[in-house]
Amino acid sequence: MTLNRIAAFAALAMTAALCAPAQAQDTLKIGWAISKTGPFAAGAAVTTLPNYQVWVKDVNDAGGINVGGKKMKIEVIEYDDRSNSEDMIKAVERLATQDKVDFILPPWSTGMNLAAAPIFNKLGYPQLAVTANTNRAPEMVKRWPNLTFWLGLPSEIVDGVVETFSKMQKEGKIGKRIAMIAVADQFGIEQSTAARAGLKKAGFELVYDKSYPFGSQDMQPVLKDAQAANPDVLLAFSYPPDTFAITDTAKVINFNPKAMFLGVGTAFPGYKGKFGASAEGIMGIGGSDANLKGIKWYIQHHKEVIGREPDRWASPITYASLQVLQQAIERVGKDRAAVIKEINTGSFETIIGTVKLKDNQNTNIWTVGQWQGNDFFGIAPTNKPGAKAPIPKPEWK
Amino acid sequence: MTSRSLASTAAAIVLVAALASVPLFASGYHLALGISLLYFTVLATAWAMFSGPTHYISLATAAFFGIGAYTTAVLTDFLPWPVVILAAMVVGILIALVVGLSTLRLSGIYFVIFSFGLAELIRQIVTWYEVNIAGSIGRYIFADTTTEGIYWRLLALAGMVLGAGWLIRHSRLGLAVRVIGQDEMVARHCGIDTTRAKLVLFAVSAAFMTVTGAVMAPRWTYLDPMIAFSPVVSFEVVIMALFGGAGTLFGPLLGVIPLVLLFDVLGAYFPNYFSILLGLVFILIVYALPRGVVGLLQQRLPALRRAALQVKMSAPAETVMRPVWPRAAERMAAGDAPVLQLANVRKSFGGLVAVDDLSFDLKRGEILGLIGPNGSGKTTALNLISGAILPDAGEISLEGRPITLLPAHRIAQRGVARTFQLVRVLGESSCRENVIAGMAFHGPGLWGAAADARADALLARVGLGDKADTPAGQLTYIDQKRLELARALALDPDVLLLDEWLAGLNPSELQVGIALVRMLREEGLTIIIVEHVMDAIRSLCDRCVVMNTGRKIAEGPPSAVLADREVIRAYLGDADD
Amino acid sequence: MALTFDIVLSGLVLGGMYALIAMGLTLQYGIARIMNLSYGESLIASAFAAMFLYTGMAVNPVLGLLVIVPLSFAANWLLYQVVLMPLVKRAKNQGMLEVDSILGTFGVLFVIQGVMLVAFGGSLQSYSYLSVPVHILTTTLAANRILALLFALVIGGGIYLILTRTRFGTALRAVAVNPVAAQLSGIDIRAASALAFAGGGAIAAAGGVLISMFLTFSAASGVVFTMKALIVVIMGGVGNMLGALVAGLLLGVSETAVARLVDPGLTIAVTYALFLSVLLWRPTGLFGRPAR
Repeated sequence: MTLNRIAAFAALAMTAALCAPAQAQDTLKIGWAISKTGPFAAGAAVTTLPNYQVWVKDVNDAGGINVGGKKMKIEVIEYDDRSNSEDMIKAVERLATQDKVDFILPPWSTGMNLAAAPIFNKLGYPQLAVTANTNRAPEMVKRWPNLTFWLGLPSEIVDGVVETFSKMQKEGKIGKRIAMIAVADQFGIEQSTAARAGLKKAGFELVYDKSYPFGSQDMQPVLKDAQAANPDVLLAFSYPPDTFAITDTAKVINFNPKAMFLGVGTAFPGYKGKFGASAEGIMGIGGSDANLKGIKWYIQHHKEVIGREPDRWASPITYASLQVLQQAIERVGKDRAAVIKEINTGSFETIIGTVKLKDNQNTNIWTVGQWQGNDFFGIAPTNKPGAKAPIPKPEWK
Repeated sequence: MTSRSLASTAAAIVLVAALASVPLFASGYHLALGISLLYFTVLATAWAMFSGPTHYISLATAAFFGIGAYTTAVLTDFLPWPVVILAAMVVGILIALVVGLSTLRLSGIYFVIFSFGLAELIRQIVTWYEVNIAGSIGRYIFADTTTEGIYWRLLALAGMVLGAGWLIRHSRLGLAVRVIGQDEMVARHCGIDTTRAKLVLFAVSAAFMTVTGAVMAPRWTYLDPMIAFSPVVSFEVVIMALFGGAGTLFGPLLGVIPLVLLFDVLGAYFPNYFSILLGLVFILIVYALPRGVVGLLQQRLPALRRAALQVKMSAPAETVMRPVWPRAAERMAAGDAPVLQLANVRKSFGGLVAVDDLSFDLKRGEILGLIGPNGSGKTTALNLISGAILPDAGEISLEGRPITLLPAHRIAQRGVARTFQLVRVLGESSCRENVIAGMAFHGPGLWGAAADARADALLARVGLGDKADTPAGQLTYIDQKRLELARALALDPDVLLLDEWLAGLNPSELQVGIALVRMLREEGLTIIIVEHVMDAIRSLCDRCVVMNTGRKIAEGPPSAVLADREVIRAYLGDADD
Repeated sequence: MALTFDIVLSGLVLGGMYALIAMGLTLQYGIARIMNLSYGESLIASAFAAMFLYTGMAVNPVLGLLVIVPLSFAANWLLYQVVLMPLVKRAKNQGMLEVDSILGTFGVLFVIQGVMLVAFGGSLQSYSYLSVPVHILTTTLAANRILALLFALVIGGGIYLILTRTRFGTALRAVAVNPVAAQLSGIDIRAASALAFAGGGAIAAAGGVLISMFLTFSAASGVVFTMKALIVVIMGGVGNMLGALVAGLLLGVSETAVARLVDPGLTIAVTYALFLSVLLWRPTGLFGRPAR
């Protein structure tokens, strides 16, 4: 390569980086920056990206979003944030200031959404942070009123777990001995800290309580010690690869407590795919009311468009959040401030039923689900309409 | 010269002002792009500050960056930001010193992976601490820092890292690491405290990385060990610096700008094929630009190439850098004792005893011949004297004081200079810099115009007067030997060790060489020569020590020892064998 | 006693996996002198291939080895001849080759990863094969993990024997110790290096197939394996097969012991602490030659 050609290449790169297309539009521009490469890619590919794609297809197949009486199709602008906060922030800025998109869909994971929050707020875009899960959500939405949370607080998941176990214990299905393991990152530690207090209060006894490092897939030592403690319940706050490894290893060493709560990851379609009948009775985060018409349609539809079923925790909620965004735009138009207000105050019909945010937070959530037959049913909150009764875990098959 | 430096100062001021005003008119995206460019500029320049000259490829960038980010996360609620940044810097320097002391003896790939392992270990320890002591892992940073504020701080930091780089390059510390990077053994024998040089540079480089982390952290609102210690940062910094050219001050910058823009363009226009395209571009770059952007520019522009060879030490830079790189102590006065004494010195490598119970004295002003067949331990003996290796037993003293366990650079500073059997010059440096390397690190040290003049005089003396600006690697073998002698003389030594310095000369060169050595002795040097050229031994040496299989087998005037039967047998071998 | 036995056996099984993934790299770096950053990606590519054969075409992974390993050998041989050979020819010394191969294989890493992303998407992959318990005295282990350990022992032992007992192996070791001298004694070092690199790639493929039976992986997880392999390689001493085996097993046993006896949260920290202390004690690894 000659010097001239390099200079030309550099100039081209500069031009491409600095000039963005600016054109008149009769489409609705929607952008997102999401992890297509790097460590977050796996998570984004399960929960977030497929739902964005399904939703855009659905909207465009239906002729577009109705904005002030005019049907506008969606034009997508998509960036890869390479699982890097700084690149994500840059891409969001670019979507807003260069591509001048009408709306921006959020990135994947708690950390990314929190890193994005000040930028979304400064730029005045609604941020439907579905995959963000933090106990400080109430405080954050005060700071950034355009930010909304959708999965409930992590503490609510723990409440659901305690509620489920208490119920099973009262019904005589399980005893009081609990073994708890957690991945040593923010999710695992926050959850296990809350669970420790909650379980103690409910009269349970923690017979094993350890954390393991993020990224570890060798679960045999932890599970053997947990098994040796002879618990009635195995409670694991784990990430998908570890959730798979825990199930696999527990099966191999024939560790079969009467109740088993694992996850994130239990609600993945691949989980049932891998373990088949052995998944029966295993509990995890999330769940859905599989008898609900919207959910039935959604699972089938997702499978048709993407080629596989959605996960049963954040996926339906992600799709529902997009329906909320769509309905809010159809009600008030493209004015982002008005859309934010409508999302925060309006009431919406979605695949998961009626969604009405309270203090910027979705309350229509399942905290605990369980594989029963071919579906992952919501079992807690136990008083939520559609809740199934928890069953004790059968023998490994 | 003054008007030129005035002009470049003015240009720098205009450039800085222009860059500083970017946030006033740039869009959010361009500002974000500017932040990316700046933070990689600081990291890559800081990385190259240490790894460029020393060739230690460090993957610990993420460790220091993460430590800085965490310091901000922990302290930002209690302290004002200047204090936070200062604290981050101090923590970074302390960790760098501890790490450096323990790791800088590793070399090559062992250091690379060690530095990576270190980053991971620190991440695991932080995680474990947060889980077990702090009770929660993620930390929230609600600092009142604007994007503009971060940009300006990074810009200031970039200015500082380039300034520090300039100061280091133009001070003795910079010269020291250039020498170390090319040949650590030579560096030690020039009187350079190699451990100290590497350590200081590692710490300075780490300080900048830590501060970068501390400045960047508020931008992300939320921090956990995964984000703060992302190993990707370490790799990207290495790639950018190597791509630009790690050996020069602005090289890393030339790598950062195109690569950050490239990442951005590929991520934006080909989000689904980003990896494949990036990979192909990398492979192309490796083929097309074997020596990085700087190498390409130097190949095209000879002026740049010359400039890279002629890094002049500057007195102001030296003054600024003095606190981290002090001068060597003054030499001791000569006494009545023998200049050098070896008593019962022994050295073995594994099972092989290379030097066995060797004792001899060296009188002031004499030329001692150390002779014997190949493998008899002569070079090992020289290595023991110069401190290149430590003896297993016995004692060596210089001017009546023990130097047995002194490191090589201290022995060199006390006035023992040497040449090597297999010639060792600094191939990428000019001949002048080769000589200045020998001059700058003993006694008061010389730099600036005085050093240049003296170096040129020494080069003229060994017959290289017209080669001062030539890279030493381009010299013929014989000229390299001459250069090596000039470098040894630059140490202003009392004792000179010549290891087969006359080997390979043709008859007329040999006569010149012998005359030169003789003249050096007349000027007051005490000399040990290891030689196989018998003519030279006969005509030069006052006395000979003959070695065989590590032991001294004879000692005396050349004529006597060369007639000794045992010596002849040692050279010619036993008739029975 | 039962606990000790349990720890040692589970640790050996875990360590067998580490050794397995490290041995290919030690061949590539120790003999072919290529610091291959894309090592983990070729391992993951084989894992994908095994999964594809098993779930898509019902070929069991052990049989899949017979297809994947030779293919990988050929692919790596080509990679060396086409992509790396120009760098080898150009390099004036080991330092230059190190920098060039780091940059070049970093590019290869992205290409392989990008192809896997396009072909299989970014999500996590997992399937079950031979996930059945095997009872050994008082302890229970998964059959697929034991299989990985056995392969590690066979490959490690086999290659050690080839290297030490055959003419070809002696040539390879000569190349590793001193390429210049090896060339002078009539060894075609480029051909030898290409074979060593390809052989390393084949071992990586075997490792990839075996671990795919019990680990969850995605297109992005290659770098994790590269790093684990590097640590084992460096700890054992570059280019030393037995070193890689011993270091891998040592890591496995100590991780398991710490998880059972101290705190599972410290297992990875222990890996690095052990690695760092070995290097501080022996700067060129457990079985490494003293540097230069």
